[in-house]
Amino acid sequence: MSTMLNNDPYFIDFPGRVSQIQESMANENIDCYLGSRLRTISWVADAFCPWRSYIVIPAQGNPTVFTFVIDAARVADDSWLDEDHVLGYAPLGGMDQITLISDFIKDDLNVKSGRIGIESGMSNYLPEGNITLFEYENFKAALSGCELVNAHYIIDRLSLVKDEGTINRFREASRIVDVGHKAVKEALSNGGWKGMTETEIADIAALAMRRAGSVWEWSFTGGNEIASGYRTGLAGGACTPASTRELRFGEPLMVDIHAMFKLALGDHAHNYLIGSSTDRQLWHANNFIDIVSLTLKTYKAGISPVSLGEQMMDFAEERGFAEYMVPGFEHGIGMLGDEWRIGLNEGPFPFWTNPDHTYQENEVLICAMQYACPDDEIGFRYENPIVIKKDKCEALSKFGLRVEVIE
Amino acid sequence: MSDKVVYLSSQWRDEVAKRLKSELSPEKMKFITTSVAFNYINCPQGKDRYLYFKCEEGSITEVIVDEGDPPKAEFTITGNYDLFAQITQGIIKSHRALMSGKLRLKGNMVKALKLASLADRLNNIMAQVPTIY
Repeated sequence: MSTMLNNDPYFIDFPGRVSQIQESMANENIDCYLGSRLRTISWVADAFCPWRSYIVIPAQGNPTVFTFVIDAARVADDSWLDEDHVLGYAPLGGMDQITLISDFIKDDLNVKSGRIGIESGMSNYLPEGNITLFEYENFKAALSGCELVNAHYIIDRLSLVKDEGTINRFREASRIVDVGHKAVKEALSNGGWKGMTETEIADIAALAMRRAGSVWEWSFTGGNEIASGYRTGLAGGACTPASTRELRFGEPLMVDIHAMFKLALGDHAHNYLIGSSTDRQLWHANNFIDIVSLTLKTYKAGISPVSLGEQMMDFAEERGFAEYMVPGFEHGIGMLGDEWRIGLNEGPFPFWTNPDHTYQENEVLICAMQYACPDDEIGFRYENPIVIKKDKCEALSKFGLRVEVIE
Repeated sequence: MSDKVVYLSSQWRDEVAKRLKSELSPEKMKFITTSVAFNYINCPQGKDRYLYFKCEEGSITEVIVDEGDPPKAEFTITGNYDLFAQITQGIIKSHRALMSGKLRLKGNMVKALKLASLADRLNNIMAQVPTIY
């Protein structure tokens, strides 16, 4: 069980979060919340739960996490919750997920009727953790006196604007990512790139970041994403798990690395041209740098994804490179498991970002941009966590914005 | 003791308590404080029975056999009388019975794992009591 003093820069008032959830539950006449999404468990329990896990939040009192028994003691050790509030499930009589949790709700919480909040939906993010059909049907049968109601929006609403401790964790994760970028740049320099593969670059960054305090290259996209040559310019591509491809003279290189610090996520991409550059490559590079710079200057409270997108695509059209831009400029981010969708499930397409979402102060998102020209086998990526401020944004990774030509 | 005692009878309980207290030192019991109730269903006499143990700082302080609801325990294990009888005789391992779902455990599984070997010691001693099942 971890404890943290409130003068710690990374302090988060978890009991306060639970009280906020319980207040929302009361307003919605929800007697008990059965969360299953990774984002919910991270946000409430402050522990990494890689196995299928659940969190039961009662109307009053502390929540209880249920995870695979082989990891329950470790989760309890990491979490602010004590070992009586982190229970293990196992394939034993009375200990399977459905029986253990439904018995806990009925017998320990004495919720035998009423409304139980669950988390249902869909996601483009594989580890989202929405309740499965099997779980739903079996919980419904085991809790036959209760009504299961979708209530994910309670967590989504409360976790949207970040507190200071969370933002500081993101700042530290980004500082660590910058350490990784520095290590990669040093390794590539002075001919170091020769014979190097994308996977080697991914691990050079990983080692440096872990030495600096990262616990995981958290992205499900293969950890650190490295692309070289034509792979940087795959049409519409913004996902490049490192391959064993060797770097080649005159080609672009995209280094998109990820660090995790106290469940906050660092995510920054930096771009290179290896050995030399052509005028055409530099034209692409300048286009990319200019639109990223303009985007970062534009982010502030009060704008929306669609208003920013229109403005940036107008700029790209004027400059003659709109066809190379993936027309999206951000994705959501939060504590581990909270990725991609920004804001609430209130847009025209269920469980996607609402294009008209109005950014508020202290929202954190990833400024994410992909430039790709398949014909020229070149592309660049920018990703950086940003904190939305009243009149600007704070870019958390400080590694210099440029496309570097590595000798 | 040469005469056999009837399983879950007061004589059986007294013999189990005597043996547990003499053979399980607090050191062997890792100075634990816990309690466990075994709920026997489908007993020969028709009524459900329970076997309750309480252990304080490694010493067995209570062994109760009775009908009805057991005292509140840290762990509860529920199953058929016949199955428990087979476990006590060493015919079936409790682990297998749990894995097959024939026994139902209630309590903190992580803590239960820590106590599994102690439960085996307890069962081994019970198995030595000459018993009529």
